[in-house]
Amino acid sequence: MSEVAVAGGRTAWRGRLGTEAQLAGARLDARRALQLALAAIWLLDAVLQYQSFMYTKAFGQMIAATASGNPSVIARPITWNATLVEHHLAAINTIFATIQLLIGLGIAFRPTVRLALAVSIAWSLGVWWFGEGLGGVLSGAASPLNGAPGAVIIYALLAVLLWPADRDIAAPFTAARAVGARVARGLWLVLWLSLAYFAVTPANRAPQAIHGMIAGMESGNPGWLAALDRGAASLVSGQGLAASIVLAVALVLIAVGVYLPSSAAKATLVLAIVVALMIWVFGEAFGTIMTGGGTDPNSGPLLVLLALCYWPLGSADGLNATEGKAA
Amino acid sequence: MTPAWILDILAALMLVVAAVSAARLGLARPWRQGAVVTDTDVSHLFMGIAMAGMLASSLTTLPNAGWEVIFALFTVWFGSRVVRDARSNGARALAGGHCAPHLVHSAAMLYMFVALAAPASGGSGMGGMGGGTAMQTLKYPTLAFVFALILIGYTIWDLDQLSGKRYSRAGASLSLAGVAAARVQPAGVPALAGAEPGTLASAAVATGDSAQAVLAKTAPAPVAPVAPAPNAAPAREAAWLRSEGITIGCRIAMGATMAFMLLIMI
Repeated sequence: MSEVAVAGGRTAWRGRLGTEAQLAGARLDARRALQLALAAIWLLDAVLQYQSFMYTKAFGQMIAATASGNPSVIARPITWNATLVEHHLAAINTIFATIQLLIGLGIAFRPTVRLALAVSIAWSLGVWWFGEGLGGVLSGAASPLNGAPGAVIIYALLAVLLWPADRDIAAPFTAARAVGARVARGLWLVLWLSLAYFAVTPANRAPQAIHGMIAGMESGNPGWLAALDRGAASLVSGQGLAASIVLAVALVLIAVGVYLPSSAAKATLVLAIVVALMIWVFGEAFGTIMTGGGTDPNSGPLLVLLALCYWPLGSADGLNATEGKAA
Repeated sequence: MTPAWILDILAALMLVVAAVSAARLGLARPWRQGAVVTDTDVSHLFMGIAMAGMLASSLTTLPNAGWEVIFALFTVWFGSRVVRDARSNGARALAGGHCAPHLVHSAAMLYMFVALAAPASGGSGMGGMGGGTAMQTLKYPTLAFVFALILIGYTIWDLDQLSGKRYSRAGASLSLAGVAAARVQPAGVPALAGAEPGTLASAAVATGDSAQAVLAKTAPAPVAPVAPAPNAAPAREAAWLRSEGITIGCRIAMGATMAFMLLIMI
């Protein structure tokens, strides 16, 4: 702590530079670091939920729109939820935001990690249905570029994979610690293969589909981001099929990457991170946060975090994994 | 529009932070020779007052230009500390150091005051975010987004470290309480700086020594076993108020609130 020593009416600086930096920090293994990243995304999500836009009728309408195209058994509860939100907008939105805030802080606060992760799974599943219409998976509106299969379900997946338990002591990557390598790889495969499938659905491989999706992100964003989106949109203009195939091939490569030897797996994980960042920048415009109307950061950062959960652990990390029970 | 009562609650929280910081400064007795004043308390005091004024128009104190000067000075001060800290501790100074979060806080405050755009309804000055008919917005929203991300990162990190240290220190704090209380005599003497219970306990964790062993190493002279002094309870409260946990708690509250303010003014 830096301090000022006041002596004889004169101010003198007392040098205790960097004291806190030298103090022992709490142990931080790879899983705890990833949990903290997840907590940060939850906190960002919560703060965004408190924005002015969320206290307008537009929020309820946004929820209602996700019912469109879904089977009635899925759509009816969404419509009911949207109506409820519109009628009690301030109270319900504040409750939503506060739950997310508590989840974020709860994951960061060590004694409540399990509770917060458990709540986050239940909350995510609820929001995935009642707030996101299952991410458009059943309505045909899902696209990897617009957050399929629903950003919120990735929160739940991350909570499961980062659960503080050690089923597999010799886990080859962090995600395998809680559920075992086989299950973790299976979840990864299902997620990325589903993204590959969504990339080539008829709605997404139409000549102007990707162009339209990216161009639609321009509005309201800062000039530099709008320019980036414009450039990317013009690049894929009329190239919907080719772009979809390239994207799908990349996604399939990523999906099978976790079954490859360590060095090849690392290469596909880097590819996953690059693709996730491109989706976040060009397809999602950072979750449209800079327009003042973003409800969450969308799927980009969550996919990056997920990829990091599968990064092969070195021997030192493996040792930490066995020691870091508290995380 | 974000409900005014949410802004009022946050404004109240900021005033609490400012009051705690003022109390910590008061406990340091800066008017006495050799008193020790912590820069973070000074910055938290100013930030608490400034942020309360931004959140609730009735709590506005100084004009924007005044706050810009104050936070520019804090930014320069903490910037220089970070540079020196980085020379001593390397990149760790940015992640686990004490000055880097305060630099970000100060710079974010400066940015907010400089980049604030008057609302469309023509209001002047800060006037409180919820006080007018139109929400005030910030110029250069990318910068607001970046600041918010960094602030959220530090908030989460602080919360993890705070809860982690509490775990580590649970045993040591009990045995230290009496010693710390006895060492805080008379309040405000330089010894206080070296004998903060938080510092001792953390140092004990760092070295693997017992807290008493660390105390023995750091104390200028041997400390005999001490019976609780008559003023032990107030001194213990003072030590608690001056603990590292309170500093970090204030920082967590400020970081989260500041990120909220930045994002709702985009």
